[in-house]
Amino acid sequence: MTQFVGLQEGAEAKGYLAGLPPCPAADAIERAVLLVGKIFAFAWLLLVLVIMVGVLERYAPPITRVMAMIFGSNPGTALTELQWHLYAAGFLVAIPFAMVRGNHVRIDVLAEHFPLRRKAWIEFLGTLLFLIPFCVFVLIHAAPFVERSITLNEVSPSPGGLGGRWIIKSFMIVSFLLLLAAALARLLRVANFLFRQRAA
Amino acid sequence: MLETYELLVIILLASFILLIFTGYPIAWVLAGVSFWFVVIAIYGSEYADLDTYLLTSWARFSVIVDRIWSQMQNSVLVALPMFVFMGLMLDRSGVADRLMQSFTRLFGSLQGGLAIAVCCIGILLAASTGIVGASVVLLATLSMPLMLAYSYSKRLAAGVIAASGTLGILIPPSIMLVIMADQLAMSVGDLFMGAMIPGLLLGVLYMLYVIVVTHLFPGMGPPPADAPPMTARIVLDALLSMAAPAALILAVLGTIFFGIATATEASGVGAFGAMLLAAWNRRLDWRCIKDVSYETAATTAFIMAIFLGASAFALVMRNLGGDEFIAHMLRSLPFGPEGIIIVILGIAFVAGFFLDWLEISLIFLPLVAPVVKALGFDPVWFVVVFAVMLQTSFLTPPVGFSLFYLKGVVPKEVSTRDIYLGILPFVAIQLLCVFLVFEFPELALWLPREVYGGAAR
Amino acid sequence: QERVRWGVPIAFGSNLTALGDTLPYVAQQLNRMSGGRINFIVQEPGSVIPALGVFDAVSEGKVDAGYSWMGYEIGKVPSSALYGATPFGMEALEFSAWYWFHGGKDMLLEIYARHNIVPIFCGAIAPEGAGWFRQQITNLDQVRGLRFRAAGLGGRIWERVGASVQLIPGPELYQALERGVLDGTEFSLPTVDEQLGFQRVAKFLHLPGFHQPTTNQFLYVNKGVWDKLQEPTKAMIETACQAGVAFAMARAEALQGAVLAKFKAEGVTVARLPEDVLKRLQEATNAVLDEQAARDADFKRVLDSMRKFQDEHQAWKQLGYLPRDWPIR
Ligand code: NA
Ligand code: NA
Repeated sequence: MTQFVGLQEGAEAKGYLAGLPPCPAADAIERAVLLVGKIFAFAWLLLVLVIMVGVLERYAPPITRVMAMIFGSNPGTALTELQWHLYAAGFLVAIPFAMVRGNHVRIDVLAEHFPLRRKAWIEFLGTLLFLIPFCVFVLIHAAPFVERSITLNEVSPSPGGLGGRWIIKSFMIVSFLLLLAAALARLLRVANFLFRQRAA
Repeated sequence: MLETYELLVIILLASFILLIFTGYPIAWVLAGVSFWFVVIAIYGSEYADLDTYLLTSWARFSVIVDRIWSQMQNSVLVALPMFVFMGLMLDRSGVADRLMQSFTRLFGSLQGGLAIAVCCIGILLAASTGIVGASVVLLATLSMPLMLAYSYSKRLAAGVIAASGTLGILIPPSIMLVIMADQLAMSVGDLFMGAMIPGLLLGVLYMLYVIVVTHLFPGMGPPPADAPPMTARIVLDALLSMAAPAALILAVLGTIFFGIATATEASGVGAFGAMLLAAWNRRLDWRCIKDVSYETAATTAFIMAIFLGASAFALVMRNLGGDEFIAHMLRSLPFGPEGIIIVILGIAFVAGFFLDWLEISLIFLPLVAPVVKALGFDPVWFVVVFAVMLQTSFLTPPVGFSLFYLKGVVPKEVSTRDIYLGILPFVAIQLLCVFLVFEFPELALWLPREVYGGAAR
Repeated sequence: QERVRWGVPIAFGSNLTALGDTLPYVAQQLNRMSGGRINFIVQEPGSVIPALGVFDAVSEGKVDAGYSWMGYEIGKVPSSALYGATPFGMEALEFSAWYWFHGGKDMLLEIYARHNIVPIFCGAIAPEGAGWFRQQITNLDQVRGLRFRAAGLGGRIWERVGASVQLIPGPELYQALERGVLDGTEFSLPTVDEQLGFQRVAKFLHLPGFHQPTTNQFLYVNKGVWDKLQEPTKAMIETACQAGVAFAMARAEALQGAVLAKFKAEGVTVARLPEDVLKRLQEATNAVLDEQAARDADFKRVLDSMRKFQDEHQAWKQLGYLPRDWPIR
């Protein structure tokens, strides 16, 4: 059987940044992010099924009738929209999930030879100066974006499309909140190594 | 004399290139660098009276929210996780193992037989998916452990997987060609037909290279010591084991070809088919579904995160007038028509080191296309040459998407260095293919004319 | 005098004739008439702002201005659909008459002020095609179950006459039509459709574009930004946009005849939709519009005003011009 090397759970603490001392606070945050990620990973299974139903619906009138009971007179459009709704929710929640698991791509041509302390410093500064400001910025501007959708009671512009656009738009906030949480956990973990050890 | 904002564009590009070598995840480097250049531009324009072009307020950068939303609504990209899901499920189903085993038996006694098999599967996948990430991940998970087990050269193995996996972006159906057609208001059909022959040619050139190099250096792709003699029974067994995945690929291709569903939906049909095959082999249990779902999430996430970072980066670059800057430089070139094309292709090649095809297609192509049209070249020919050239962007470090995908899924024993050295010959082959299409435009123009009866505008 | 440098995102690529090249023209004229002081930097769809995100971006001040087809805003501001194009409604010239001289502009300014946008009418083009079809439509039965792609109000109308309206993303349209996932699709002006190559994969082009007798585009300017502009700048922008309307109308009209001839030469059947199909579509249109009017007060107000003008104008439209099929010589 093929092994998914580097994709195991908690890989970041055990993989690229292997050797960091345990940090229970970071563990707790990361467990929470992983849990949400795992739940939403089933969006992909659901997506497979929705696509199948959508394709069959085009050719099988009985399925069309069943779907019409759920989505109204033109279920094809609703099903097509449901596809990208699932895809969007799926990838947004997966980004912080992948962050905890250490799936995000690094150019480690040079970095793989760095000593752990230097790697930890890079991780500390990168998270503090690059990732966290970006997350905060997106969150600040995503809030009014979603709020606006709620105020306007925004719906799909397509006939038969899905309503409640704010729900899917909210996933942007969910995603970046989780990403921020994962970033804070990472920051705690490397800070714990960089600053506590020196004191000890 | 450079304007301040043009200088900022150059510094922006340079800082990004330097900072990715820290080893911090590339997605967040892109996002973070963009963020700090907004800070520099805003305070520069406010307190130092710098001309920062359009980048004068935080509002300009807050557009990133709309761009994320647009990425969320991109229903064409729905195919990305679905092809990943299909690949992982195929892998878990045991079908993939049997497929590789059958290829091992069929080609195994040949020098470099497994690598040839990778090229074949690569072309087949390219004809059904068009998503590079998924193809590379699938090919790597299918074949890398086998090739390592048979003591193939790690470099050859990495190179052939990364290169064969990129064929999907050129051989139709291709998201890249769809986007290019959209950008330039050209017919997708023309581009699909135009890219067909060069795409297949590239695959065949890869295979020829594998055959030649493994004959010159037998140690790079040795036939297994225990390779049984090829009997009718082995051939029959092999054909039988190929039936399932072949049916799956046919299901995906057939779904598109017979107009049952769009290419995007075909990806879901393929994923469902892979689940059926897993069930057939009694491998579809809860654990399998769970694992495949988690891995699909992880793989999709790292690709989408880079899209996101690149989107922030492009936003800042455009607000600093980066695209006009490039266009202006091009227009002031002192070369003849062919010379300008060569310069454009050269820039695409160099840009491909640092940017991916999407950014290049979105930023650079629309800038140069009018120039090319004005020079009197056939746009279909030009876009196809350009597309073949962009293939190199997947394989050229530091930012080569195929390399990232590969790095994400290969065993630890294959180092980044192995990957970088392994893809070098394949980059050379791609350049050879660019040269061939450049010198013999009929390679790109013959098929569209045959199919649609009449050259493109 | 003040200098203006705006990045102006557009919703249709500037390479699409008549549909997409109006704002680049307006930008060029503004630059010339202001002696280089007013600079619109035209931003292609998606390069900075996604094609469908222009309204939001201007409304929230993320960009100073943007240029879009108003029909895209139907999900947020339903009455926008009528300003973008009204099915079986006014043609470009009539719309201009109603907009500038029968209260259309005042209502729109009021509605859009709530969204922090000053809309400036800045382009109107000839009707779209009704659609590209793989089979010729000769009777009503063919419409039932027809897998057709149409957006906005047009989609609702097709749905009501029994078509199965499909939501296929733009980049996949061509292939879906080629492979028969779709039986038909509408897209844009015949010239634009020709640029995208629909004539290669569907051999029947039906006219008229009942769903979109004109396609009106507006320059959206953020209200805060607009209010701060000096009077001469405002006047130049408004005047350049009026020139844009004339430019777009003329350019769209100038190109369609030749392209229809080209289609015929390539084996495309160009035909009018049968009268009974059109009548049925119009009934559906009235029902869809009334339904929407019942749900949204602004929509009702705008629709009533349009219908009132159309009633008044009808006599002149019928008698004042030669019938459309009157021989040329
Ligand atoms: Na492909
Ligand atoms: Na590259």
